[in-house]
Amino acid sequence: MRNSLKVAKWEYKRNMKNKSFIISLFLTPVLFLVFFNLPLLFDNDQAEEEGSQIYVYDELTVWSSLKSQLPEETTENWHEIDTYMTEDEIMQKLNEAENTAYIMLTDQVLENGSVKVYISDDLDENFVYQTNILEQPLLAQRLADLGLTQEEAQISASGIGFETVTPESIDKAQSEGSNSANMLERIVPVLFAGVILFSILITGMMIFQSASQEKKEKVAEIVLSSLTPEELMKGKIYGYFGLGITQVAAWVVIILPFLVWRVDVPFLEYLFVPELLLLLFIAIAGYLLFASIFVSIGATVEDMNSSSNFQGMMFMLPFLPAIFFGPIMSDPSGIVAQIGTFFPITTPGVLLIRLALLETWPWVEIIIAIVVLIVSIWVFMKLAGKIFKTGILLYGKDATPKEIWKWIRQ
Amino acid sequence: MEKVLTVENLGKSFKDTRIIRDISFGVNKGEIMAVLGPNGAGKTTTIRSIMGIMYPDEGDIQFHHYQSKGIPRHKIGYLPEERGLYKNVKVMDILLYFAELKDYPLKKAKLRALEYLKKFGLEGKNQVSIEELSKGMGQKVQFIASIIHEPELLILDEPFSGLDPVSQEVFKEEIKELAQKGTAVLLSSHQMNLVEQLCDRLFLIHRGQKVIYGTMEEVKKEYANFKCTIQGNNDIQKLERISKVQRVEQKENKSILYLMQDVHIPSWLKQLPDDIDIQEFTVDRVSLHEIFVDIATGKDEIGEEGELHA
Repeated sequence: MRNSLKVAKWEYKRNMKNKSFIISLFLTPVLFLVFFNLPLLFDNDQAEEEGSQIYVYDELTVWSSLKSQLPEETTENWHEIDTYMTEDEIMQKLNEAENTAYIMLTDQVLENGSVKVYISDDLDENFVYQTNILEQPLLAQRLADLGLTQEEAQISASGIGFETVTPESIDKAQSEGSNSANMLERIVPVLFAGVILFSILITGMMIFQSASQEKKEKVAEIVLSSLTPEELMKGKIYGYFGLGITQVAAWVVIILPFLVWRVDVPFLEYLFVPELLLLLFIAIAGYLLFASIFVSIGATVEDMNSSSNFQGMMFMLPFLPAIFFGPIMSDPSGIVAQIGTFFPITTPGVLLIRLALLETWPWVEIIIAIVVLIVSIWVFMKLAGKIFKTGILLYGKDATPKEIWKWIRQ
Repeated sequence: MEKVLTVENLGKSFKDTRIIRDISFGVNKGEIMAVLGPNGAGKTTTIRSIMGIMYPDEGDIQFHHYQSKGIPRHKIGYLPEERGLYKNVKVMDILLYFAELKDYPLKKAKLRALEYLKKFGLEGKNQVSIEELSKGMGQKVQFIASIIHEPELLILDEPFSGLDPVSQEVFKEEIKELAQKGTAVLLSSHQMNLVEQLCDRLFLIHRGQKVIYGTMEEVKKEYANFKCTIQGNNDIQKLERISKVQRVEQKENKSILYLMQDVHIPSWLKQLPDDIDIQEFTVDRVSLHEIFVDIATGKDEIGEEGELHA
């Protein structure tokens, strides 16, 4: 263990002194922030609509009575004008203005049953739907004019809607109020564990490179004169775990303040819950599983560029849960989700997705999955030790799957 | 002599091929012991077995002054045949890493590293990245890495391969100095001329088996017979007929007469025929290199085994 920690410390220090690692450490979260904000920058429609100004001539006093019932942020870009404008006058104004609309609510509107919405050229035609809020009050006004009382007119104008009802939807309706908050409360810690798993997996992939480099630069034999192959292998796994955690720390330091500021969700409150411990355990177990695969396969490859499809395929393993993503989303407790949970390679990923989706956690399945994961880590570490021991000293060639199989059986 | 390492009846096979068989030798404190042999003789397999990098099928390896089971890795310095260094790290960092792996105090290691860098003409290179060093400089750093922790036993597998003559001399002197200070040195090589001037005892291995084992003097006395080199125009059959001549090699005007072991040189010189054409004449012993080449090419009759008390 002491020797492994020495190797871990060396691997950690070596990478932390490496300029390209330091750049990637900060670049990944910064890139995330850029891509997170990019859609907002390009969301012109919304920006346009937010900035649009609507002028209403309200001869019918429909708008003024409606305005009092609407929230302030909906009505702040609506302005009442006192004088009636002809179509020519409006057109003249619109030619000079941007993001502007004019609505003339006169008796004629009630007679014709149509409202003309004059918009400047730069506004989208769909903008007209924003003015739909006027439809119901205008209809009520029209009915009142026909002799109905104010109340009768309101009822008639509101129309009749249809909705389907199932036992499930009744349950849903009952818990509707707190549902979206609950969802976020579940997702935030899972998302955090997911980020940790992702980060340490990415640095975990660097183990492959590190083991391969050890072979290529022929340092392995010198190092192995001071410690055992198992200690060297474990040291690498611990070292790159440390680097992964450092990457997570960079994410937290750069992104969390941004999220707390930009997104209106109490992240920290949702994050530090007891369930987080289990989720972190799953993430770390996932790392150990894949790290053992990467380090052993890295020890069989001298030149990464010449590595065969077999070795390349190993990099795809952590992304295997993506196959299950669709079926799990549609049924988080279905048979596909369960298979994914108990198949060691996909256990960490699938379990995290399911725990984010399920309201009540299936504890029996979780316990079985964790047992499967722990046993698999033990088996994979043993196999990795065997492959690493022979592979790391095999200079000058990449090992074939047949050779690797032989080392495992030794 | 105080024994540091004893190897007894070591054997190793790969599949059905026997790589080494019945290898036994010892290394004493303060001596330089050489394992010699042509390429593929089994030198590296023997050394890797001692280092625990390979597991021998049979035999026993004993490290004296070390009670617990296993290999006292922190007491051994090792320079493997296949060697290199991490490219993108600084010289001092890698030397301190190797010292740390051997549990050697870092402060002391730093001083020793600086001292050795200076000694090997690499002063001021401690903060230079390995990739900026020349091949020769890199080899010197590797050598320093193997001795940074003051090992009791230093194992060097082909230490001179790939070195230029100047670096070879530097290494030779350093190895001698280390031995004088009490380090037990075990080295393997196929460059006999270098080893001849360096080692106290040798173990010659061929096709995985012992051929010669003994002190340098004993080996020379036993196997390095006299040879007589004559420059002149002579008939090979005539030379072969001279008594105590084992065989003759002739190339143009140069004839080498390999003499039998029991030859008495003054008497032999007296009985040389008068009609031999002699332009130049030398008598000396067969070098280790020649013994080695003879064995490797199967000319020598020492054949399978010969042991001189070690």
